[in-house]
Amino acid sequence: MISPVKSSLEHQLKALLPRGRVLISAAQLAGYGADGLGYKNHLPDAVVIPADAEELAGFMCGAKALGVPVVMRGAGTSLSGGPVAAQGGVVVHTSALKKILEINTEGFWCEVECGVGLNDLDAALKPYGVFYPPDPSSGPVCTLGGNVASNAGGAHCFRYGVTSNYVLGVEAVMLDGSVHCFGGPAGGRGSWREDWKRFMIGSEGTLAAFTRFWLRLLPLPEKVWTFRATYPDLKTTEAAIHALVAHSSYPAAIEMLDPRGVAMVESSQMACGLPGGSFMLLVEIDGPEALVNARVEAVAEILRHAGSQDVMFSDQDEIRKKLWKARKASGGLLGQLSPSYVVQDAVIPKRALAEVLQLVYDEADAAGIRAVNVFHAGDGNLHPNFLFDSRVPGELEKVELISKRLMQRVIEVGGTLSGEHGIGNDKSAYMPLVFGPDSMRLQLAVPAAFNPAHQMNPLKVFDNRHFIA
Amino acid sequence: MTPSLHSPTSPPDYFSNCTHCGFCLAVCPTYQLTGDENNSPRGRLRLWSEEAAGRLPQDEWTDFYTAECVGCLACETACPAAVPYGEIFEHIRHEHVATHRFSPKLPLRLAAAAVAYPALFNLAMLPARLLRSAGLGVHRFLFPGRPAILKSTAAYAGELMHRHRPTGPRVAFLTGCLMEAAFREINFATVRVLIENNVQVIIPGGQGCCGAFQEHTGLDGVETLRERNRRAFGPLEVDAIVSNSSGCGYALGKTLPPDKPVRDVLAFLGELNPVRRHRAKDDATRVYVDLPCHLVHGQKAPGIPANVLDATGYRWELAPNAKDCCGSGGVYNIQKPENARAILAGKSAFLNEAEGSPVILATSNHVCMMQWHSAGATGLVTRPYEVKHLIQLLDPGEDFSIPPASPQS
Repeated sequence: MISPVKSSLEHQLKALLPRGRVLISAAQLAGYGADGLGYKNHLPDAVVIPADAEELAGFMCGAKALGVPVVMRGAGTSLSGGPVAAQGGVVVHTSALKKILEINTEGFWCEVECGVGLNDLDAALKPYGVFYPPDPSSGPVCTLGGNVASNAGGAHCFRYGVTSNYVLGVEAVMLDGSVHCFGGPAGGRGSWREDWKRFMIGSEGTLAAFTRFWLRLLPLPEKVWTFRATYPDLKTTEAAIHALVAHSSYPAAIEMLDPRGVAMVESSQMACGLPGGSFMLLVEIDGPEALVNARVEAVAEILRHAGSQDVMFSDQDEIRKKLWKARKASGGLLGQLSPSYVVQDAVIPKRALAEVLQLVYDEADAAGIRAVNVFHAGDGNLHPNFLFDSRVPGELEKVELISKRLMQRVIEVGGTLSGEHGIGNDKSAYMPLVFGPDSMRLQLAVPAAFNPAHQMNPLKVFDNRHFIA
Repeated sequence: MTPSLHSPTSPPDYFSNCTHCGFCLAVCPTYQLTGDENNSPRGRLRLWSEEAAGRLPQDEWTDFYTAECVGCLACETACPAAVPYGEIFEHIRHEHVATHRFSPKLPLRLAAAAVAYPALFNLAMLPARLLRSAGLGVHRFLFPGRPAILKSTAAYAGELMHRHRPTGPRVAFLTGCLMEAAFREINFATVRVLIENNVQVIIPGGQGCCGAFQEHTGLDGVETLRERNRRAFGPLEVDAIVSNSSGCGYALGKTLPPDKPVRDVLAFLGELNPVRRHRAKDDATRVYVDLPCHLVHGQKAPGIPANVLDATGYRWELAPNAKDCCGSGGVYNIQKPENARAILAGKSAFLNEAEGSPVILATSNHVCMMQWHSAGATGLVTRPYEVKHLIQLLDPGEDFSIPPASPQS
């Protein structure tokens, strides 16, 4: 039975969304309890699916009066708990806002609605010879709204940079229904100072609802070469990474799979002949054909010189795909190994890599938790994956304790909490490890300026950010 | 320690493989249609597992979202965690029907009962064969064709085997229920193509419906049907068991033991490099190939071999989004006609502008053919086009002989 309170909420929502959908029954809310962190569940009181941007804006006009939290959601692939209703309320699913409004090849920008899928955008851009560089692994399904909200990265962000480098403008709707443009197609042409656009990017749904973006594009690289090499130990792997980072060939991506990751791949149906106990490096260079071709041998030599005896490289799509196979397969294989996993997203100075990796191994082994490391080695963005079974009492607590110790050490060596996944409610408890009381107070004032009662995505980023009706 | 992969045995265990990554959303036709997470594989798995764990009471919305699933299995291909969604879905659907949470439409229940008795089903479908044979398209699903009215595929294959005496590999052919009862001309063409390629064709007696009908509807009786086919195909000493319908082939594949793999007839022919049809130089026919879900997502085939498509002699290309569902989904277009039509509308729009004269939409599953035919019959596609099974495009016709073996072979 639906309670009178719910019934009243349903009534109000239906009035706000005459064309869209309002989901209110328990079984309609179940699917919206979690994001990519499937084991952390927070059920909303309702879900709305606006039919279009206009209806979303209309909903925002009346949202404040609902007196419940408002949580934006794209495809729900986030790994930080960002798009879940941690304090209940209404989840706004932007799945219908998937129009690519303009591709401007003269100005190298495009205008897209917030629900456009990342790979759908890529496919639409390709015939024009342009691309949008950020490439989180969830590309086949994630939306640009989520990418901008969490300032997403990806393998090629080592050279290309993360989402914030490519957002020219954000159209956002505040809780009073007012529509604001932060930047625009030409940059700086919005109703706000250009630099304040950055408040929006990475704001994790705590400020406003995004409706559309103007994104910067680049010409598609003429040529791509992919390299794969394995190393017997971390020392030689590190030597290769340092040499690659310092070299003028400036790789687009430097990815690493640790021996536990290699073992996982090799004992699965995705095995590709990597030596047992080895560290795998995956490197990519791209750009104008003549320039990139001239650099191929130098990159291969760096990889060999650091101690690899099995450097493989190719510019052929089929072979490149094979070289990427172990790296690409690893995320999914985690799911085959374990019912649940936590993936951390710490960024550390590269000099601390060996020490932090050892800490991951020691802590995980002591707790009897399996750990696999698959990460963006070029920019020191670690992704230790802790595999566990959330149905076994105590396992989640063990993993959370390991995560906390890891984060403490990450901060001590000068690193930070998140490279690309966002803080959400998964890492909010670690915020005070990085930021002092003054800094926390001032940062909290930002969402408070946009929605004083913290109605937008409460309990995210700051775990004391409650919505008080 | 060597990681061991899950080998799920009971439904509650299945759910644990899903890490909630969401990769299935992008390929799910009902999520794409509705934008509702509950109407996606990840959402449905969540509903079923929450209910199984006792955290969610039985709810008519769970029944609704379960019934919405097309069963195309595109999510299995997209799933990095190898969740056996199809198996779970089949289990849940059967449970929903058994507990009256969902009831298949009456004609489907009658048909499901009838397919268990091939002779009866053949008789019941006699009007369909007569109407098609007379060139009368009276139903949106009845694509044109000239099936034999009385002669069975088994009798026909016997005659051709006797006449041509092929000496190559021996195959056992699953003739299917609807395929045999309504679209028999495709079976006849399959027999001709196989024999022309020097394949010995055996039609095992006692075979019956593969059980896909029961799987699609969630009705009882699938195990009886499977057992009958195990008895019919199991003891045979043949080089391959072949099916010309990817859905039936997939269902029979699940029935027989791993040492009796069921091959799609086109994949089997691909290995033989089939005899090529020659077309006139100025032939402007264009063939658009659509790949059935149960071929690429069910049987996990990479597609239809290019040498088989080349052997049609026509200029061909894959239909846009060829690996996406057309909305047929076994009996989905009868259970959920509105959704099926919306899915088909997206898939078939290209035909209105497609180059070629004539234009042929070719695939390798009769229920997909029915669905594609309905695009014209219901006005989604307004220009003329034909729907063909690919085997029909390799058909030598009645008057053929087995070409002498080339020196290389």
